[in-house]
Amino acid sequence: MNKKVEDTYDAIVVGSGISGGWAAMELCKKGLKTLLLDRGRDVKHIVDYPTAFLNPWDFKNGFNNTNQDKIDNPIQSHNYSPADKHFYVSDKEHPYIQEKPFNWLRGYQIGGRSLVWGRQCYRLSNLDFEANLKDGVAVDWPVRYEDIAPWYDYVESFVGISGQAENLPHLPDGKFLEPMELNCIEKHLANSIKKNNEKRVLTIARVANLTRGWDNRGPCMNRNLCTRGCPYGGYFSSNSSTIPAAISTNNLTIRPFSIVAEIIYTDQTKKATGVRVIDAISKEEFIFKSKIIFVNASTIATTAILLNSKSKRFPNGLGNDSGELGHNLMDHHSSTGAMGIHNGFNNMYYKGRRPCGFLIPRFVDENNPNYLRGYNIQGRGERQNWEDRALNMKGFGLNFKNEISTPGPWSVWMAGWGECLPYHDNKISLSEEENDQWGLPLIKIDFSFKENEKLMMKDIMKNSVNILEAAGFENVEGFSYDKPGGSTIHEMGTARMGRDPETSVLNGNNQIHAVKNVFITDGSCMTSSACQNPSLTYMALTARACDFAVNELKSGRL
Amino acid sequence: MNRRSSIKSAILLGILGVSTLSIYKYRVLNIEVDLKRFYDYQKLIAELAECIIPKSDSPGAKEANVDQYIINVLINCTPIKEQHKFLDGLEYLETYTRDMYDKSFFKCTEKEKLDVLQYFEDRDNYNFSILNKINAKFLGQSFFNKLKRLTIEGYFSSNLGATKCLSYDYVPVNYIACKPLGLNQKSWATR
Repeated sequence: MNKKVEDTYDAIVVGSGISGGWAAMELCKKGLKTLLLDRGRDVKHIVDYPTAFLNPWDFKNGFNNTNQDKIDNPIQSHNYSPADKHFYVSDKEHPYIQEKPFNWLRGYQIGGRSLVWGRQCYRLSNLDFEANLKDGVAVDWPVRYEDIAPWYDYVESFVGISGQAENLPHLPDGKFLEPMELNCIEKHLANSIKKNNEKRVLTIARVANLTRGWDNRGPCMNRNLCTRGCPYGGYFSSNSSTIPAAISTNNLTIRPFSIVAEIIYTDQTKKATGVRVIDAISKEEFIFKSKIIFVNASTIATTAILLNSKSKRFPNGLGNDSGELGHNLMDHHSSTGAMGIHNGFNNMYYKGRRPCGFLIPRFVDENNPNYLRGYNIQGRGERQNWEDRALNMKGFGLNFKNEISTPGPWSVWMAGWGECLPYHDNKISLSEEENDQWGLPLIKIDFSFKENEKLMMKDIMKNSVNILEAAGFENVEGFSYDKPGGSTIHEMGTARMGRDPETSVLNGNNQIHAVKNVFITDGSCMTSSACQNPSLTYMALTARACDFAVNELKSGRL
Repeated sequence: MNRRSSIKSAILLGILGVSTLSIYKYRVLNIEVDLKRFYDYQKLIAELAECIIPKSDSPGAKEANVDQYIINVLINCTPIKEQHKFLDGLEYLETYTRDMYDKSFFKCTEKEKLDVLQYFEDRDNYNFSILNKINAKFLGQSFFNKLKRLTIEGYFSSNLGATKCLSYDYVPVNYIACKPLGLNQKSWATR
């Protein structure tokens, strides 16, 4: 096999999603010639958003997926609709092995899942960074809030995040643009919550949707069609933001259709020298070399690359001295909550489609004796429309038509986003029998929620029902869907940070303990999951690690 | 106590119904459907949809071509067992109408048409919503509920339905969080 050695770069970034985009931009801005690899196609901001301006009637089957979709893409089709399916992979072409049911939602393209993310941005706090140490669970985070806080400031100032300061120690405020606004029913719920328990808060979601123009993007037009890609640049994605900024430095080379098969390690320098890439289309192999490598292929994919990077020094995967590589997979659970309708405020409505809901931050200083950690509640209030009422309203004909075309009762849907503990036996590994069409081993995922998560779910349901009933909602129904792991698309862990090389893969600067020029700053690095939507933390850790890496490089230590 | 035991027996009946029907129909329900048959029924589908969403001061389902939408979704996006249930439902609706009124559905008066639909709505729904959910999950959505859902979905996401019967706000620009209901306020077409 002829492996062509291509150009040599200062840095290689593997993956162009939310953290890879940040790595590419930061390294380019600091003057490094950077190669950005992604296994999927290129997606250019605005021009590659083919559905962004379509009306509902432009979709032949409405927003229903076809039977063929459901057969070929049994996992992805749960999440996509005809409006955004082009940003999801084909399960048929990109299989993986579920040792237990696990929904692995993926977007193989420049920009990755930053095109379709939920956009909510919450800081972790020392309640989270100290939790493992206090509880004696897994290993201690090697960082504290004070280490990350300036980097939260830094990334928030670039991303543009709308939100309301609440002065909560456990959910620190950030650098916010003007908040989006709660509607009538949400304000009513907020007041009721405050009245019944003064420690509890309901606040507008903190989202990477712009309430005013920012960085030549936006503002958000309140269409709520974000997952199609925003032609106004109303929300943050790699495509709209970090990648164009990286390109403008003239230091960036982007190579789509580049599947990284392994990271090449040499014992002489105890460093990685580059990556072996398989062209996704031609299947030709290439080697690219660089001084430093950032692996940001997303939690499971990044760890699979490391596991597949075997050498004499690292027979079980690059940097896997601890044996922890692949272990401690986590995902938030978010399928338990409650909904109800409210018969007040009948003469009030809203205009526009706000691209976010509300947040009830984690309850602290309350007695939750039977499980560890906690959850926040996310939800939204609105007046029911024809979608909600199609089958709930009996009848048909003229009166029915009149009734269903007017605003229905106010309703609130909300669910708990819950922390998942890091369990050693929740893990990924590589198949020894089955390969994909590029000859790379299939990934096996073995994950389940356990007792702690299940006890928390019960508490979520109880509290959600109580909160709605206390606020005068009717027909309140608790729900708890038994959704497999991965469904929240917050998978993290598998290459955790830690203080001790014997029990963790990465140090406090996201460096592989034993391979100092390889950095992992996507969700793989997480030592615990907290309950906050995690992307903001990945971005902050990435910017911080880039700063560290370039300083190390300049001072000759890498 | 009474209410509880009646719920119990209803659930039991529901489960029994599900199991006998599923044994009886399992094979039949999984054989591929001749999709052309949906087009044979296009006029009837259009007529039924118009009964559910009739023309008023805004267009009705027929004018919005909802029958074509329903057929598209039935053919492209509907599990085989629900395709069967839908065709069986249409067939039975024709038979039922003939038996009751001695004429085709098209020739029925408005009142007769609505009575036929009422019969099918009652036939296809249990009094307890949980049983409807169980039934839909194991046997697929019933004929009437599928027809009604697709009619509403097709109409309100059509150009005419969304813009003439609802308020379609293509690019809202701003979000106004609380505002008084307007005069004759229609629901927003999308969320």
